[in-house]
Amino acid sequence: MTAVGRRRAGNRGGGPLGGEGRWALLFLAPTLIGLAILSAGPILATVAISLTEWDLLTAPKLVGLDNFVELASDDRFLKALRNTAFYTATSVPLGMLISLFIALALNQTIRGIAWIRTAYFLPVVTSTIAVALVWQWIYAADSGLLNEFLGVFGIGPQKWLSNPTLAMPSIVAMSVWQGLGTDVIIFLAGLQAIPMDLLDAASVDGAGRWARFRNVVLPLLTPSIFFTGVLSLIGAFQVFDQIFVLQRPRPTDATITIVYFIYENGFKFFKMGYATAASWVLFVIVAVFTAIYFRSQNRWVHYQ
Amino acid sequence: MSTAAAAARPAIERSPWPARARRIRRGVLIGLLIAGGILMMVPFLWMISTSLKTRAEVFATPPVFLPAHPRWENYADMWSALPFGAFFVNSVKLAVLNTVGQLVSCSMAAFAFSALRFRFRGPLFGLLLVTLIIPFQVVLVPNFILYRLLPHPFSTSGNWIGTQEPLWVGAFLGGAFGTFLLRQFFLTIPRELGDAARVDGANPWQIYRHIYLPLARPALATLAIFTFMWSWNDFINPIIYLRDVQSFTLTAGLSLFQGQYVGKWPLLMAGALVSVIPMIVLFVLAQRHFVRGIALTGIKG
Repeated sequence: MTAVGRRRAGNRGGGPLGGEGRWALLFLAPTLIGLAILSAGPILATVAISLTEWDLLTAPKLVGLDNFVELASDDRFLKALRNTAFYTATSVPLGMLISLFIALALNQTIRGIAWIRTAYFLPVVTSTIAVALVWQWIYAADSGLLNEFLGVFGIGPQKWLSNPTLAMPSIVAMSVWQGLGTDVIIFLAGLQAIPMDLLDAASVDGAGRWARFRNVVLPLLTPSIFFTGVLSLIGAFQVFDQIFVLQRPRPTDATITIVYFIYENGFKFFKMGYATAASWVLFVIVAVFTAIYFRSQNRWVHYQ
Repeated sequence: MSTAAAAARPAIERSPWPARARRIRRGVLIGLLIAGGILMMVPFLWMISTSLKTRAEVFATPPVFLPAHPRWENYADMWSALPFGAFFVNSVKLAVLNTVGQLVSCSMAAFAFSALRFRFRGPLFGLLLVTLIIPFQVVLVPNFILYRLLPHPFSTSGNWIGTQEPLWVGAFLGGAFGTFLLRQFFLTIPRELGDAARVDGANPWQIYRHIYLPLARPALATLAIFTFMWSWNDFINPIIYLRDVQSFTLTAGLSLFQGQYVGKWPLLMAGALVSVIPMIVLFVLAQRHFVRGIALTGIKG
């Protein structure tokens, strides 16, 4: 249908894009300008900028691949890569696993369930800056809620945010707390789309609770799991706000992330070429991981 | 009839034990859910509680959960410590502009991608989808450079840096998420509706304006809420572009506040609470749209 439709549309030739091209151009004008100057265009521009040394005050100086060579031996950048990898590898699976449990538990009709659900969703809609402020207070070494709570069990006060071993896990814990709601919503929608007769049929065949979950629910939920995986993965590589608030005035090598590295070099040190080179690395990492992840779906995602 | 029902649920009819076990399991589950829900709320409750404490209560051991005499003055002190009124107005203004911009530009693009036939439709939509997975931080530097090159008649820098314009003008130039979300919805509108109007002499703009937009109200509401939320909670863009404190948003203002009032937890918590309340109210009022948005883009992705 589309092939025939498209050919006919092309023959009609109403404008530069063929068919209803003139109208399409009108409707797409804002988007095309946006693509050109704010997203696709700038991505091409980053190629050029990353090959320069540019402080914005003097003219850019072409330095070839020097920025990338420098990144490869910049200890802070390597730490940023390692920390971002740690953050992603812990927060993504942890968040998805916990949300799956919550969604399974929430997937039932009980009076007042809407209120319980709201409690799980609230952190999603509130700004990371505001909630990170209260987490900074919860994690405070002096009189912080967490230390006071652990003190009851005889555990001494910890420096949750300044101890290099504890800082990143503490940030991960806060982020998992904040992100749960999104995954829960997607899993709930996926669970509610599972046909009841499939579950009933499995019961009649003698499948127990676990067997039903393992052989019916889980396979049907894989599209939702796949989707939350994409969202969480892309989001995790971009972690910035919580680092900014919880690691003031400046993250140490134990907590700096790629986006903070870009921010710091671009907007604190005004090393535009260097910051852009780092964003290229971020782009390539996200692209590679997303591609691998999309490739993997044939092996484990079941579409109905 | 009754025998059929009994046959369908033999386990329940045969003995009271599985039924009771199920009830107990359900009770435990609900208990865990409520406990988990309360645990999720602890940071918010602690925010409220701290915002009403005296200095002595903040550092008391064991911690005070309910301040003896709620110190409402903390809110007045917070409000006058920095121009929070201006922050609030700026956040509202930017959120509204971003929402309007996204609704207009994304719905137009979504209409073209779902109801019009033209060459390059597929590749163009593909290009837009690619930008959906590209982290916007990748274009942070080039966008900053672009806005620095654009002349601005009223700014002290002469360009767009230091003005609020970079924080909303882009919203009028489309967006991958909004276009994708609305296109998914537009595709469910029967083509015959548009075709019939076309036969009656309506042009695409009239079809968009009088058929597609009214029918897409739920999807538009979803996009509006998401855009409002993103704009309200955005942090990295305000701290990069804004210079004058009077032009700060609540997130940028809170960050400034954090730097100036280190350890003054009651004031900081009061500020944090004031900045999250509008989103919480919006969420409770529009929960339906919010949940549908995530589910819609998730399931049809």
